[in-house]
Amino acid sequence: MIDILRQVVFAFFLLAGLFIQITAVLGVNRFRFSMNRLHPAGMSDTLGLMLMALAAAVYAGFEPVTLKILLIVALFWITSPVCSHLLGRLIRETDEKHFETEAKEWKP
Amino acid sequence: MKKQKPDFFSAFHAWLEYGGSSLDREMTESLENKPETGTVESKNKPKSKKKTPPQNNPRRAYADAWWYRLLALAVAAAMIWLLAEAVARMPQFGNADTLADSELTEFYVEHTKEETGAMNIVTGIILDYRGFDTLGESHVLFIAVCTVLLMLSIYGEKDEETRLKRNEMERHFEPGDDVILQSAARLLTPLIFVYGIYIILNGHLSPGGGFSGGAVLGAGLILYQNAFGYEKIERFFTYKTFKWVSVCSLLFYSLAKGYHFFTGANHMDSHISTGVPGNILSGGLLLPLNFVVGCVVACTMYALFTMFRKGEF
Repeated sequence: MIDILRQVVFAFFLLAGLFIQITAVLGVNRFRFSMNRLHPAGMSDTLGLMLMALAAAVYAGFEPVTLKILLIVALFWITSPVCSHLLGRLIRETDEKHFETEAKEWKP
Repeated sequence: MKKQKPDFFSAFHAWLEYGGSSLDREMTESLENKPETGTVESKNKPKSKKKTPPQNNPRRAYADAWWYRLLALAVAAAMIWLLAEAVARMPQFGNADTLADSELTEFYVEHTKEETGAMNIVTGIILDYRGFDTLGESHVLFIAVCTVLLMLSIYGEKDEETRLKRNEMERHFEPGDDVILQSAARLLTPLIFVYGIYIILNGHLSPGGGFSGGAVLGAGLILYQNAFGYEKIERFFTYKTFKWVSVCSLLFYSLAKGYHFFTGANHMDSHISTGVPGNILSGGLLLPLNFVVGCVVACTMYALFTMFRKGEF
């Protein structure tokens, strides 16, 4: 019984993670504006990765591997939002079409 | 005019049609310009550099044909099938029967531990049996950095004014005092450094070694530099540090490996004991060699980053 329950939880997390990742891939490829693209890109690195890693953790059970998987999730949850923030900041500073920027003056 | 496609596709088609051969591009442009070059005025300047936008290009029509899309789908499906097949045929992890039936593999598996003192067979192979190959790889890294320094260094600019202007221009879009990045870097940089050093020092015991550990160290340096700027990192890592660490590491590698090869080829005792396999201080030359390779790789990563970014340390 507990095995079936575990497999159900595992399948749920895996399918949810797959759904998020596919959405992210579609969004990154289909959106036109860079800020819009940033949103699915950050989503896949945080939510999608967490769901997939949780699926792997449930599949592994209580093992040392589980701790490592959770550590990976923690590392990505620290770093990925920072990356998204920096990218957004760079877009804000250089996209002269949509924002008021100083980029024009600095063109070589 | 057709409806414009999303960015990715139009960029891809532009690359397909314009990125190919320059001859192709010129032919397309001459075809495009033919009806316009009827007047005398435009004949005087036949070399108009204006590129035709992708959606006006008649050669693009094939991209919208049904067979083209079907072909693209078929190619993608074939690639997916190939990769999935390759993954499905991989040997099971940890299966003892999957070793290739090769004399060399058997020799390595049987003798690496006692001959080199390495628990990690890969390190034993790349730093001992094929140490000459790894020596060349380290030097290739150094040569690559030298070339990049020659080409991209800001000191290559002739006059002071251009140099200053370029420096200012490339510093303008740096993150600067970004509190979010600095908080993350304050938390992560020590962990990254410790992890890199662990990978390097445990290279002969566990998966890892000089190259991977050095890459992690270089990434830590790059993160620190990005978050806190050049003033902070110049307290412990400057051009002088890079120069001395790289050159000394490569010199040590060459001398140590030369000594090892010389004594080995002449059947002399090299007086370097392999110790007890599994101890941290074991494996003879493997530990110092891993260390110097890690130093070279970390310096190279950081130098490449700074050169491509700004042209100055």
